[in-house]
Amino acid sequence: MSSFTAEVYQNEYLPAGGSEVNAIVTVTSGAGGEPAKRPDAAEILIVDTSGSMEVPRGKIKAAREAIAVAIDCVRDGVAFGLIAGTDKAREVYPSGGAMAIADDHTRQEAKRVAEKLRAQGGTAMGSWLTLAGALFDTAPGRVCHAILLTDGENLHETPEQLDAVLAACEGRFQCDCRGVGADWQVSELKRIASALLGTVDIIPDPTGMAADFRSMMETAMGKATQNVSLRVWTPQDARTGLVRQVAPTIEDLTDRGTQVDERVTDYPTGTWGRESRDYHLCVHVPARSVGEEMLAARVSLVENNEVLSRGLIRAIWTDDEQLSTHISREVAHYTGQAELAQCIQEGLWARKAGDQATATFKLGRAVRLASESGNDGTLRLLQTVVDIDDPETGTVRLRREVADVDEMALDSRSTKTVRVGPAP
Amino acid sequence: MTVVCPEGHASADPEYCDQCGLRIPAAAGPPQPTQVLPALEDADTDASPAAWRQPCPVCQAGRSGEDRYCEACGHDFLAPPPVACAWEAVAGADRAQFIRRAPDGITFPAAFAEKRFPLDGTRVRIGRSRAGQDDQRPEIDLAGAVEDPGISRLHAILERREDGSYALRDLGSTNGTTVNDDPAPVSAETATPLADGDRIRIGAWTTITVRRL
Repeated sequence: MSSFTAEVYQNEYLPAGGSEVNAIVTVTSGAGGEPAKRPDAAEILIVDTSGSMEVPRGKIKAAREAIAVAIDCVRDGVAFGLIAGTDKAREVYPSGGAMAIADDHTRQEAKRVAEKLRAQGGTAMGSWLTLAGALFDTAPGRVCHAILLTDGENLHETPEQLDAVLAACEGRFQCDCRGVGADWQVSELKRIASALLGTVDIIPDPTGMAADFRSMMETAMGKATQNVSLRVWTPQDARTGLVRQVAPTIEDLTDRGTQVDERVTDYPTGTWGRESRDYHLCVHVPARSVGEEMLAARVSLVENNEVLSRGLIRAIWTDDEQLSTHISREVAHYTGQAELAQCIQEGLWARKAGDQATATFKLGRAVRLASESGNDGTLRLLQTVVDIDDPETGTVRLRREVADVDEMALDSRSTKTVRVGPAP
Repeated sequence: MTVVCPEGHASADPEYCDQCGLRIPAAAGPPQPTQVLPALEDADTDASPAAWRQPCPVCQAGRSGEDRYCEACGHDFLAPPPVACAWEAVAGADRAQFIRRAPDGITFPAAFAEKRFPLDGTRVRIGRSRAGQDDQRPEIDLAGAVEDPGISRLHAILERREDGSYALRDLGSTNGTTVNDDPAPVSAETATPLADGDRIRIGAWTTITVRRL
């Protein structure tokens, strides 16, 4: 079993009549020791082999090389498979409705099959995921992870069909999504990655694919625990207003909870390696009189109903305004990071809609928030879309010529956050 | 071991009540005997079938069967009923105020539907929320399709006084807060008591009338 710790950062003091309790919970897995490297993982590589992957010619070639690199990263004993996706899904390795167990021989075999991949046909991502789910089912009890690589839109399926597949796959495996080139839909891959608790990113240039696949595989192979839930207990008459992962990326879980009993709800967090994530919780509790103290929420990390770690979110009512008006640094920081991600989304949307004024305002605000919080990665991405006159006031000018891949990179990476810096 | 919280709930957690979350003071002397709570079934047999369909006292939604919690707002039907709301605030657009202030670059709204807010908290904040910041949403939130741009995000606050009426305090707003026809802005330090029918003026054209019901 992995070791988990949960730390709570909050200002527990509320003014008289106050009812809103905010806290940041930092969850760290594998602290104080390497998590046991368990071989019982399962990995499926899903590669788009629709006709467009031949154009430009380098794309399918780069995909083949990236798959070979990824296969080399599969540890001995891991169950793995390779799916080629067009308007239907085809199990190209090992074929026969099951998964292969990795060793030198199967890895070589899989690489030989990957070399022969040809691009021809349409795109129906739901069918690829359905097949992946069926294959994972043949290897029960493993930490299941998939990588989906595509270069185009989901043309041969309705959004409803995809949604139904995602609902069926949720909680069964994790899926990281990668889009190559500029002809895929950021919103589509975000939907898949979000439902399947994975990441989404752009690979602007096919030559970058192998390095990205290696890093995804290394992360996936480090996962030791899956189906960990964030369990939130709240008292009578309390309401959970917000459960949001805020680091390393923003992922809203508020509507993803499963009620365990009338006061306890579990939120999915997927698989864990040796890593640390932050969650922002907001709970509305019935106001009590000054001087009283209550537990607003008990947050625990749960694997198969076994509590791995626990943190308490408290509320104390006070008439000392010095205490109650202070906003916890962590809460303030991540509220800003969430606004940053939203400003980028709204700004890009306005830009597409031709609303220059809103786009300038929103992206300007994003520049200011990114600069204030030291989110240099996001600031650099913003610079590809706007010219920054003054980052402190958020004065920017929209660039006339913006490469599609730059805009898509900003869109896909807009939810990346930075951790709160050390206290001043 | 089971302990009893200050509100009388049985709790397995000796520190915070399992039910209401209240801090349980460290027991002095022997632990108190567990109080047996009436079972839900008992509570329900006391209520007549007609009472099951009584509307929720908080949100007025119909009660579904003998459910303990309101389906609409989550109110606990076994909890004591909330204090009846005796005051309300009504926000509207006032042309006279707009003409008097004559703000640059702002137009008077062509249509503005009155917004009613029951006053039921000890502290009721007035302001204009920003999208995505609902964590700090004021109770009287004047954000909407038609917005007065002169209202600050957190503009002013109504504080309940002992007699149930409200007093007004500015929260360091950009454009200040006045009451009725007095041009002097209200203080941020001391609260200004409000009487039935008083009109709070904020922003370019917003008037909030407080009324005793």
